Amino acid sequence: MFRTAQTFFGLLVVTFLLMPIVAILPLAFTSSVFLTYPIEEYSLRWFVELTTADAWRLSIMNSLIIGLGATLLSTVLGTLAALGLRTKALPFANLLRTMFLLPMVVPAVVLGVGMQMLFVNLGVASTYPGVIIAHAVLCVPFVIVSVSASLQGIDPSVEKAASSLGASPVKVFRRVTLPLALPGIISGAVFAFATSLDEVVITLFVAGPNQRTLARQMFSSIRENISPTVVAAALLLIIGTLCLGGLAALLRWRQERIALRAAP
Amino acid sequence: MQPFIQFESVSKSFGSMTVIDSLDLTIHKGEFLSLLGPSGSGKTTILMMLAGFERPTRGTITLDGMRIDQLPPHRREMGVVFQNYALFPHMTVAENVAFPLEMKRLPRHEIARKVARALDMVRLGSLKNRRPSQLSGGQQQRVALTRALVFEPRVILMDEPLGALDKQLREHMQLEIRELHKRLGLTIVFVTHDQSEALTMSDRIAVFNAGKIEQIDSPHAIYDTPRTRFVAQFIGETNLIEADVVNVQNGHATIALGADLAAKVRSGPELQAGQKALFSLRPERMRLGAEPAGDNSLGMTITDCIYHGDHMRVQLARGNFTFTARCERLAGDWTVGTQVVVSFDPRDCTVLTS
Amino acid sequence: MSRASARERMGALLLIVPLLAFLAVFFLWPLWTMVRASVVDNTVSRVLPRTAAAIVSWDGQGLPPAQVHKALIEDLRQAEDQQALGETVRRLNSAVSGFRTLLTRTTNAVRDETNSGAIDLGDLDRRWKEPRFWLALREAVPPYTDRNLLAAVDMKRDAGGAIVSEDPGASANRLIMFRTFLVAAIVTLACATIGLPYAMLAAAVTGWKRTVLLLAVLVPLWTSLLVRTTAWFVLLQNEGLINGALQVLGITDGPLPLIFNRVGVVIAMTHVLLPFMVLPIYSVLLSVPRNLMQAAASMGAGPLRAFWRVLLPLSLPGLMSGSLLVYMVAIGYYITPALVGGANDQMISSVIAFYALGTANWGLAGALGVILLLVTMILYFIYGRLSKSPQLLGA
Repeated sequence: MFRTAQTFFGLLVVTFLLMPIVAILPLAFTSSVFLTYPIEEYSLRWFVELTTADAWRLSIMNSLIIGLGATLLSTVLGTLAALGLRTKALPFANLLRTMFLLPMVVPAVVLGVGMQMLFVNLGVASTYPGVIIAHAVLCVPFVIVSVSASLQGIDPSVEKAASSLGASPVKVFRRVTLPLALPGIISGAVFAFATSLDEVVITLFVAGPNQRTLARQMFSSIRENISPTVVAAALLLIIGTLCLGGLAALLRWRQERIALRAAP
Repeated sequence: MQPFIQFESVSKSFGSMTVIDSLDLTIHKGEFLSLLGPSGSGKTTILMMLAGFERPTRGTITLDGMRIDQLPPHRREMGVVFQNYALFPHMTVAENVAFPLEMKRLPRHEIARKVARALDMVRLGSLKNRRPSQLSGGQQQRVALTRALVFEPRVILMDEPLGALDKQLREHMQLEIRELHKRLGLTIVFVTHDQSEALTMSDRIAVFNAGKIEQIDSPHAIYDTPRTRFVAQFIGETNLIEADVVNVQNGHATIALGADLAAKVRSGPELQAGQKALFSLRPERMRLGAEPAGDNSLGMTITDCIYHGDHMRVQLARGNFTFTARCERLAGDWTVGTQVVVSFDPRDCTVLTS
Repeated sequence: MSRASARERMGALLLIVPLLAFLAVFFLWPLWTMVRASVVDNTVSRVLPRTAAAIVSWDGQGLPPAQVHKALIEDLRQAEDQQALGETVRRLNSAVSGFRTLLTRTTNAVRDETNSGAIDLGDLDRRWKEPRFWLALREAVPPYTDRNLLAAVDMKRDAGGAIVSEDPGASANRLIMFRTFLVAAIVTLACATIGLPYAMLAAAVTGWKRTVLLLAVLVPLWTSLLVRTTAWFVLLQNEGLINGALQVLGITDGPLPLIFNRVGVVIAMTHVLLPFMVLPIYSVLLSVPRNLMQAAASMGAGPLRAFWRVLLPLSLPGLMSGSLLVYMVAIGYYITPALVGGANDQMISSVIAFYALGTANWGLAGALGVILLLVTMILYFIYGRLSKSPQLLGA
């Protein structure tokens, strides 16, 4: 009986967690303007709307531009810092690490208000660079966590072996450290991109109408006038994030396999 | 002795893999039984079935005449000492030891009294308020042991309890456990893969291989008269040679070891002339000398000597026939190439016919 | 310190400096800007700098000395930014009504070319002979103020400068803060109630069952927050799947109100934050040796007692950090309450956004932000202490 209760509870929670995501997806293919079941007739009209309506098309483009920019910026800065944090001789390493992770903790609205005030003064409010920078701030912690984890997985004796075999520090980094850390860097970049793609709050504060991202566009259309286009966009985002998540998982799995093979 | 615990044709499979195959095993009250075998031989599975963490796929287990194989573990009253001790990290030493008594719902003052006495017995009284993480490996081991003993279980089960200790501590704990066993008259089932541990501690040893018991006997018998090739090889070191039985008479048999080598051995009724057999002789039962002595004396050449501190290991050869012998020291002028005579007592030889 | 490790240290610093500078400028500076905005009040002192400098020497008794009068005249003559001047007038008028007409009249008079000689303010308008206008001016010129911080918790200074509560009904910030903490507590409780047994289940089973249970937690975590909120929006609406199912099953006659109210907010937030509860507990439980439960059983503990005495105490650290994490994220939540909640479910973040985006009241937005930031940082500090590693989940 205990077993049955356990199974039932497990199924219930799994349903609670997954059902919402699964349940709305078919609505992207409805031909009706209402987001209700049953679906009388299927059509792709909302996908057509998504790709042809100016507001949506622009927002998709913006999301890609801003996402790529923020990913590039945060991955470069975050990877460098994670490499620096690895050195044991660094003073205040823990304090620095905590500070680098803070953007994940500070409530988005608080950061948004501050950024809006400052960005107006700096003249970058409602510009692409401004939005990219704001997103990059939020993405940095993910890169740090991911790259640090993969650096931690590197057995220091492998690098010592390389230098004992005659590799200079730069060579050791290029031929040993970097290839081993690469999966972590890539999965950090993936997380960064996904974070930027999903970001709404900061965007509300620092972006102008020209930098409206897909998430921002979805937010206002849910708020003002929900239509199945939102669900079509959601489907697009789910497929996008699942692909990215799958890629990250694959990389992690590959890294674990390398680690396993290297273990004696 | 009355059988206390009995396994009757017990089998255990995990999926399609059979780990224990139709096993019969009797454990007597008050005995120290070791289950010895390589990893994966099924000895731990036996222990887990006895403790109730695994259920037999087929067969029955009885304790004192009562079937226990369907009882849940918490109703079996068996004290288990786990390999990693399984001490509760969130409880102090005293709380760990009190746990089984609380489960029995003993009155509080009695629990306190028993805990104090048990901890004093293993000299841990002063550490009773420490957490397990603040103890050394040996101390943790003693807490685990005390915790398993304190509620006076009917049987104590130990799953390689000394595996994590260093050599010296391990030998010390071996003595301590043996001493407790004698003093309290405990029934102990002890799983180990360390043969010397099994030999020193046990009343009986069950040697496991691939889910079956190869031999169950006293340590003495296991070492001196192994009954299978596996036991002969797994316990201690031995010279194992394919041989033919030439003739049998008056409780002795002559065995041909090679083209021009023969040995006289003690023989039971199972040996018959013309049989194929396996001849086993322990290295330390050989004597090396310059002259023949006794029934079995073979002239051989020293091919290698290895120094081991308390003994020497000597490789001997005659044609393509080789022996390893073990002796305390070599005569002064012996070196590689010296001709010596190897002699041994017929009673020290074992012949396996299977 | 050897030379090699000093060089290593330099190298590490060089690697860290770019990010450090980036975050200092684009993360810490914005936060600092917001904190400043909540306490800096230079509306008046920016427009009337000379007056601000002169009036501090006045003890507030009687009327201010002549140099203050002179400074004010000079300031009003020089003031060029009409918008800033307008703000100053509005700010002073809200302190003492009548200030608008007084200042407008005075400004017009002092700027009149024909009045280039000495001007006596008291002659120009009798109101300058009343101390209360001067007192209001003195009150308004200091560049730092606690007005916004007090207003954020529904308090103000009365005429005598003592801190008093705002009239009930005038502002709802305290109510909204209380609501924020309450909703976050309910959500945390819901997550703990579901998450603890779920994490235990996930740690107890093996093989594909564990994979399924963990994937069910990770897939939502990977899925866009907006998508999940959209999903709940669609499910909870009156014509949505849940109400449809309830009616088909005959449990209810009409649609239950599930959206734009507290129920909807709690359900959607619990769904979003549940992974943050499950994963810390699960990882704590993974480090618990399996045979602790076996050991408890061998000593006579039945499943329930073994759970109560062994598994539950051991999972408490995970439960604690999971709860802190959920609570910390929940109090700063904006999107979900904004989309699924009604007018009475808006949390502190929504109010901040309202003041910042809607009314451009930076001072009050900043003050509320400071409070939210402070609470979050305290919770994060405790969380860091408890979990020993400051890393959050999600990566």
